[in-house]
Amino acid sequence: MISVEDLTVRYRTPDGDIEALSSISFDVARGSTLALVGESGSGKSTIALAAMGILPSEASIASGRIMFAGKDLMALSAGQRRDIRGSRMGLVFQDPFSVLNPSLRIGEQVGEGLVHKRGYTPKQALVRAVELLDEVGIRQPGVVAQAYPHQLSGGMRQRALIAGALATEPELLILDEPTTALDVTIEAQILELLERLRVQRNLTMIFISHNLGVVRRISDQVAVLYAGQIVERGPTEALLRNPVHPYSKGLLAAIPRIGERKTRLASIPGRLPDLRRPPVGCRFSSRCPFVIAECSAPQQLHEISLRTVRCGRAAAVEAEPWTSVVDGPVSSIGPKSRASETIVAVDQLTKSFTIGHTPLAFDGWRPRRTPIRISPVKGVSLSITAGEALGLVGESGSGKTTLGRTILRLIDPQSGSIHFAGDDVSRLPQRQLEPMRRAAQIVFQNPDSSLNPRKTVGELLSRPLVRFRIAAAADVPARVKALLDLVRLPAHYTNRYAHQMSGGEKQRIGIALALATEPRFIVCDEPVSALDVSVQAAIINLLADLRDRLGVAYLFISHDISVVAHLCDRIAVMRQGELVEIGPVDEIILRPQHGYTRSLVAAVPRIDGAPSIAAIGSQ
Amino acid sequence: MTAFIVRRLAFVVLVLTAVSMLVFTITSLLPANVAYLILGSFAPPEQVKALELKLGLTDPIWQQYIRWATGFLSGDLGESPLLKRPIAPMLWEAVSRSLMLTGFSFVLIALIGIGLGLLAALRHGRTLDHGISVATYLGIAVPEFFWSIIVIIVFASWLGWLPASGYEPMSEGVWVWFKHLIAPTMTLVFGHLAHVSRLTRSSMIEVMQSPYVNAARAKGLPERVVVMRHALRNALLPTITVLALDFGRLMGGIVVVETVFAYPGLGRLVVFSIQNRDLPTLQAAILVVAAIYAFANLIADLLYAWLNPKIRFGVHVN
Amino acid sequence: MPLQLKAGLLITALIIGLSVLAPWIAPHPWDTISMRTRFLPPNSIYWLGTDEYGRDVLSRLLMGGRLSLMMGVSATLVSLVIGVPMGLAAGYFGGWIEEGLMRLADVMMAIPPIMLGLLVLAVTPPALWKTAVAVGFVYIPPIARLTRSVTLTLAGEDFVQAARARAESPTYILFREILPNAWPPLIVEASLRVTYAILLGSALSFLGLGAQPPSSDWGLMIAEARSFLDRAPWLALAPGFAMCALVIGINLIGDGARERLDPRLKARVGKSV
Repeated sequence: MISVEDLTVRYRTPDGDIEALSSISFDVARGSTLALVGESGSGKSTIALAAMGILPSEASIASGRIMFAGKDLMALSAGQRRDIRGSRMGLVFQDPFSVLNPSLRIGEQVGEGLVHKRGYTPKQALVRAVELLDEVGIRQPGVVAQAYPHQLSGGMRQRALIAGALATEPELLILDEPTTALDVTIEAQILELLERLRVQRNLTMIFISHNLGVVRRISDQVAVLYAGQIVERGPTEALLRNPVHPYSKGLLAAIPRIGERKTRLASIPGRLPDLRRPPVGCRFSSRCPFVIAECSAPQQLHEISLRTVRCGRAAAVEAEPWTSVVDGPVSSIGPKSRASETIVAVDQLTKSFTIGHTPLAFDGWRPRRTPIRISPVKGVSLSITAGEALGLVGESGSGKTTLGRTILRLIDPQSGSIHFAGDDVSRLPQRQLEPMRRAAQIVFQNPDSSLNPRKTVGELLSRPLVRFRIAAAADVPARVKALLDLVRLPAHYTNRYAHQMSGGEKQRIGIALALATEPRFIVCDEPVSALDVSVQAAIINLLADLRDRLGVAYLFISHDISVVAHLCDRIAVMRQGELVEIGPVDEIILRPQHGYTRSLVAAVPRIDGAPSIAAIGSQ
Repeated sequence: MTAFIVRRLAFVVLVLTAVSMLVFTITSLLPANVAYLILGSFAPPEQVKALELKLGLTDPIWQQYIRWATGFLSGDLGESPLLKRPIAPMLWEAVSRSLMLTGFSFVLIALIGIGLGLLAALRHGRTLDHGISVATYLGIAVPEFFWSIIVIIVFASWLGWLPASGYEPMSEGVWVWFKHLIAPTMTLVFGHLAHVSRLTRSSMIEVMQSPYVNAARAKGLPERVVVMRHALRNALLPTITVLALDFGRLMGGIVVVETVFAYPGLGRLVVFSIQNRDLPTLQAAILVVAAIYAFANLIADLLYAWLNPKIRFGVHVN
Repeated sequence: MPLQLKAGLLITALIIGLSVLAPWIAPHPWDTISMRTRFLPPNSIYWLGTDEYGRDVLSRLLMGGRLSLMMGVSATLVSLVIGVPMGLAAGYFGGWIEEGLMRLADVMMAIPPIMLGLLVLAVTPPALWKTAVAVGFVYIPPIARLTRSVTLTLAGEDFVQAARARAESPTYILFREILPNAWPPLIVEASLRVTYAILLGSALSFLGLGAQPPSSDWGLMIAEARSFLDRAPWLALAPGFAMCALVIGINLIGDGARERLDPRLKARVGKSV
């Protein structure tokens, strides 16, 4: 259906050209699905834009060709390409929140391809749009067609986008991370929808994702991208079960799997090479445990056990498992020796916000406006003992973050009580919270936001030491070095600003910042969600080490059950502000009691175990 | 939507009340004495005292304000102590002339400014874009009073096409009337074009790079449809707000332009009454300007809300 | 460095340099009246000609540059000194402080700047320093609004929450966490405000409510030249073009610097009026 041969794409940037894609080759047979997998910077989205012919103006195709249904797309005129685009090949973008035009109705946007490509009148197109919305599983399609994008939820917008891409019945559909912005249960529904459409319409799909579980669910073939190159390509099941290229091995080993308890995850040390001057030889060699001298020569593609692998040592390493230095020290405080003192106890905690008022109404002669309130946290009770990690899972808008920040009194509670180390802190004024502030800290999701960009690492880390008089002025630099060492960063990082570090390094500083006050309890608010899989593993290992060494208790907030199940002792599940279930990890994962927990656990796309997820109603 | 309009209207009333207090307070600090203005500088003090008492000038300022405000609301703007004429007819005549001038200029600014902005955005990074950018830079840098000098030098002194100043009523002939409007209009347009065109350009460029325009291209829509249907409406939203602000700026611009061109409008009335310490006229004129300004903003707000479905329909995620 | 920024710095530095050195490099005394040299067109002795009192236009221009620059800068300082703390307080504390300050700004902004300036100046006999204060006063609301919106954005950042989690005082958070990040957009805005202030200040001088004769303020020079546009157009053109060059120079710097701002804060600068 489509084949890409030797495609190389460069981006012009102020700091020099970046080779975003280097000799990419693949083909996709009619009716099959190819998944393109890679971490950020791998170039996977550029492939979608190049195939559609909508690369931004600063990108240029240096070499290669793209054949679609026997035609060389590069040889076509701009007009001919536009005719194919949206008519025979469709694209679904990543973020459903910004891809729909805010000032056009859903029906108009779904049907407009028909008007311009298939000669429908706007009225006919609208009728067909309603049918399509129905087909992608939207209830009340007639009403939704008249709505504007901001009136719909994320899942509904993504369905509408898919409906729009399908309207002209294209033969090829390219999906760029179509479920990344969505909650797992919605993701499962969208994947199910795509599968059904593929069978019904004999669609060919290119599915771009960073999530191997999702890929396994949807694709026949997988191509793994690293730094602009395809490093391994082959049938999905075989590749995920037995990866050959060292990078694929590392990627798979770094993912926490539900139901498999390990003390530490494997991680991939190092970082992506500079694509302005990509290495001549293997681009992964600097991070590869199997590296030998020959790796610095250009790597060719090798065919090996149904796979195409860009690694000269493919045959030699095929059966080798990924080996990474397990960087955790021997635990000094084992889970058994933990004190059972309760550090945080929350009882019937409620927080609500006023988000607006109802329109003015009259109660007799008295004007009256009823406030519209939302309650992100409704009557939550839980407790955490010293040295324990409690996982808090739930979908977006379930109130996880608000709960975490209310416990720390960054947000004031409405009602209920918070006891910290035995003291009731729920009503104390901010000035009297100092002892609690020192003992309870927070790690945020996005280190770009949590590290003040105008301060160096040294300034950041010394402030809490000075603020709480933890070290004498002369000892501060030594303490800062010790903190850096604790999060495994070299001492010379004291002079760096946030923008001079990678995402993983910034998150390590975020953790060091929380540790500076020697806390007994840390709220970790999605600390790894913004990170790539390989970096995520290293941060999770670090958090596990710190708990074991320092005996810190965590409230670990995450939308990713697999991560929580790996790291935590107990799991609490939140939905719409309420705690629906709380219990030990194995109980929650293997024997969930509440229906919502069951559907949440079932919806997680897995990279091993049963190949397809438990059926969930698509509504 | 109705509640929104009511709320905005109430706000306008509130702002105008506050403005009137501000203006009244500042003007009452002016070192001018209405009684002397009426009676002449050499009037005997007893006579002045008597008149002051009669006019209530010795009352506390808040009483004076209330008296003035109630008069204003009932349409009685008082009398100009300087010209010894009722203010209202004089003011309305000035307002109508100024609105004529600003109205003309506003339409031209909107049309040319948006047009130039769009043209520059669609030719982003090419010669035409650079040309327009340089021209608008000049527009921002040249103050109105210098534009008016240039217009006079070029069109009145040098080419001799236009009268250098003055105003003729339409009864003197449409062409004569129109000829006197051209130079001040041109000055106002030159002075205010740049804001509109620069904003239109930057917002259009931003929208043309937005994910939904990219998505529209991915649907293979003709470029004309991408621009007209997907980009334009969203790009013009911020321009509308700036146009309203520009109408306000025009109300400021007429101060200089009407003075230079001896155009008998509101701007000249303000300058004249300040120079001659004619307080009642000044208070009334400034309040009228603020009212026009506030209503221009109100209209922009409503237009913005009407064109923006997020405000029109509110947010209710299913 | 982008071309825009370079050109802006060059033009501005040139004008500032010439103005500062004016007393030493001016070829003639700026205020000596000489009836024999009236209305001379530009020539090899008087490069930019002479005015109705026979004074050298170039020397007056150079001296006037000092006045315009000082007026613009001091007016902007006035609006920064009052507007920035107002905006910080409104953005960080919210509630009635924000309501009060922002509604006050709304009221001030409901009167066109030039009329507000006229009103303020009408109260006292005109002088250039009063014009500067009046212009500064007029531009408090936009500065306060920008500071507020930048503060709001920054207050939503997690490093502010982190500081609260360390029990830092509001003063520390405002001045040590937020303000250092708010400076870049404020400086860009302030540089653009300097140009507005120069234009507004000279417009007020032009209307007779600023600098008084025999001062060589550029706005006043243009006002005085109005009567002689037919005979001596250079009298108006020289200060006019000088002012344009200065304003363009500062604008180029402001726009060039804005391009380098944090994208989260960039959109806010220069849109307030």
